[in-house]
Amino acid sequence: MTAISAMLYREGKIRVTNLTFIFWDLFYPLGYLLVFGVMMNYMVGTQFPLSSVDYNSFFLAGVLGMASFGIASNTSWSFFLDRDNGIFYEMLTYPLSRAEYLLGKVLFTVFIALLQTVITLGLGALALRIPLRFDLLPLLLLVVAGGTAGWFFFYAIFALWTRRNDVFNSVTSVFYFVFLFASSMFYPLEPLPRWFRAAALANPVTWHVDLMRYLTIGYGNPRTIALESAAFAVFCVVSFVVAVRFLQEQE
Amino acid sequence: MSELALQVENLVKVYEPRGLRLRGRMPVRAVDGLSFEVQRGQIFGLLGPNGAGKTTTLKVLNTLIRPTSGGASVLGYDVVAQPLDVRRNISVVIQESAAELFLSTLDNLLTFARFHSVPVAEARSRAEKVMDLFQLREDAARKVQDLSGGFRRRVQVAKVFMVDTPVVFMDEFSTGMDPILKRAVMSLLREEAARGRTFVLTTQILSEAEELCDDILIMNKGKQVARGDLHALKLLSENVYDVSLTFEKLPEDIEQLLAPLAPRRFSVSGNNVEFSVKADEARVLALVAELAKRERVLRVEVSGASLEDIFVELMK
Repeated sequence: MTAISAMLYREGKIRVTNLTFIFWDLFYPLGYLLVFGVMMNYMVGTQFPLSSVDYNSFFLAGVLGMASFGIASNTSWSFFLDRDNGIFYEMLTYPLSRAEYLLGKVLFTVFIALLQTVITLGLGALALRIPLRFDLLPLLLLVVAGGTAGWFFFYAIFALWTRRNDVFNSVTSVFYFVFLFASSMFYPLEPLPRWFRAAALANPVTWHVDLMRYLTIGYGNPRTIALESAAFAVFCVVSFVVAVRFLQEQE
Repeated sequence: MSELALQVENLVKVYEPRGLRLRGRMPVRAVDGLSFEVQRGQIFGLLGPNGAGKTTTLKVLNTLIRPTSGGASVLGYDVVAQPLDVRRNISVVIQESAAELFLSTLDNLLTFARFHSVPVAEARSRAEKVMDLFQLREDAARKVQDLSGGFRRRVQVAKVFMVDTPVVFMDEFSTGMDPILKRAVMSLLREEAARGRTFVLTTQILSEAEELCDDILIMNKGKQVARGDLHALKLLSENVYDVSLTFEKLPEDIEQLLAPLAPRRFSVSGNNVEFSVKADEARVLALVAELAKRERVLRVEVSGASLEDIFVELMK
């Protein structure tokens, strides 16, 4: 427990004493909700293809997904930097196991994601009058936590595998572009071309966002959501197993 | 707890080439049947040229890598079976630069102490002392990413003095340190060793090892080539002498005059000539007398072999 609390202390110190991290972790996705989301809501208005919800409500889960994905990516970047600047190898000589190192990282990442979720939900409900399903809130927090951990493990694989900074940055940029835009994060999939829908439905971001959309505003087909949830759970577990394997192989 | 700080028995580490790019390459036998023991409270030096296997040996002892075969223990704890127990008892300055770039100097020290369960108040008080010793006080609040390479190394080395782990590993610890700080750290190492702490140093700066180490192991190509205290090692290089002469005017044929003794080292700087030879004491003194007849000698110094001479001799 001491080792994990030391890891949390370290991660906390790094995040709290660097304002740019706070901006990227907590406020960047909110900017999307309050600027991009609100403007899109004005623009599409009654033209929005989902008659039961407005764009702000639809996009809320997208913002939560973006935050989860982004925070995990930021932590994996710090993971990469730890290795790149040598401190990772020094830390492996500290009185902590590799599992505790990974657990400390992931717990802190999950904590930030939950904090970000609470802020986003509060703002969405108060400022944008989004009708939230408060009864499903505990489940939503669980999905945010599990999903963020899954994305962290997924990114950690590349952080451990990639040796060069430029390669890591290129990979994460491509991930951002492909995973976020080829998903249901920004737009409903129903009116889109079949090939794009097929790609989006094979995207774990879609699985995660659709589940969170159901838990925030109750939108979605429960059967599809159940299938997507199962797929996303498998994705998280596989990412975890592969990340741990990569970590054990670090010499 | 074991009386021995380290015990290494027939240690072998082979690096198998991994990945597509390395396919077809031969495995590298970095450590090849190394055995040694280190008593508690010693300053132990692990010396050798680049690629000798020093860092690999240290990595096994630090639990960073697993041995291919053989065994190693730190204070009786097996590095493979009890890695956490080993890590609770060691602190390490790795060869690569390693500091928390996004944290301040002070936070680097405090975070390290926290990992080693040092109580907060005690950690703060130690940090004050350590920052004074390493002349880091002015940079206490600066983030390490804003410090120069030399100062980053200082922070890295300073951290091990935040804790009381019984065994400390330092891989090329003095890299980037100025001579005054290096003196202070070396003096601190001696004090801590006198209190019972064991230090394991690897270095390429042989004068450092000569000055600090109670016990030295010289390795090459993964194997031990010599072992003992400085006195014992110097016996390995019996009849090797370092000679330094300052002439009023350097004899023009100085190189030819020395040629019969086949000097191992030879350098001329102004009117000063320095060389190292392996010969009987009488022959060396006769040579010095001969040289003095050629030109007036202002200064003469004849000494036994330095660790550097022994090292060069052993690596041949």
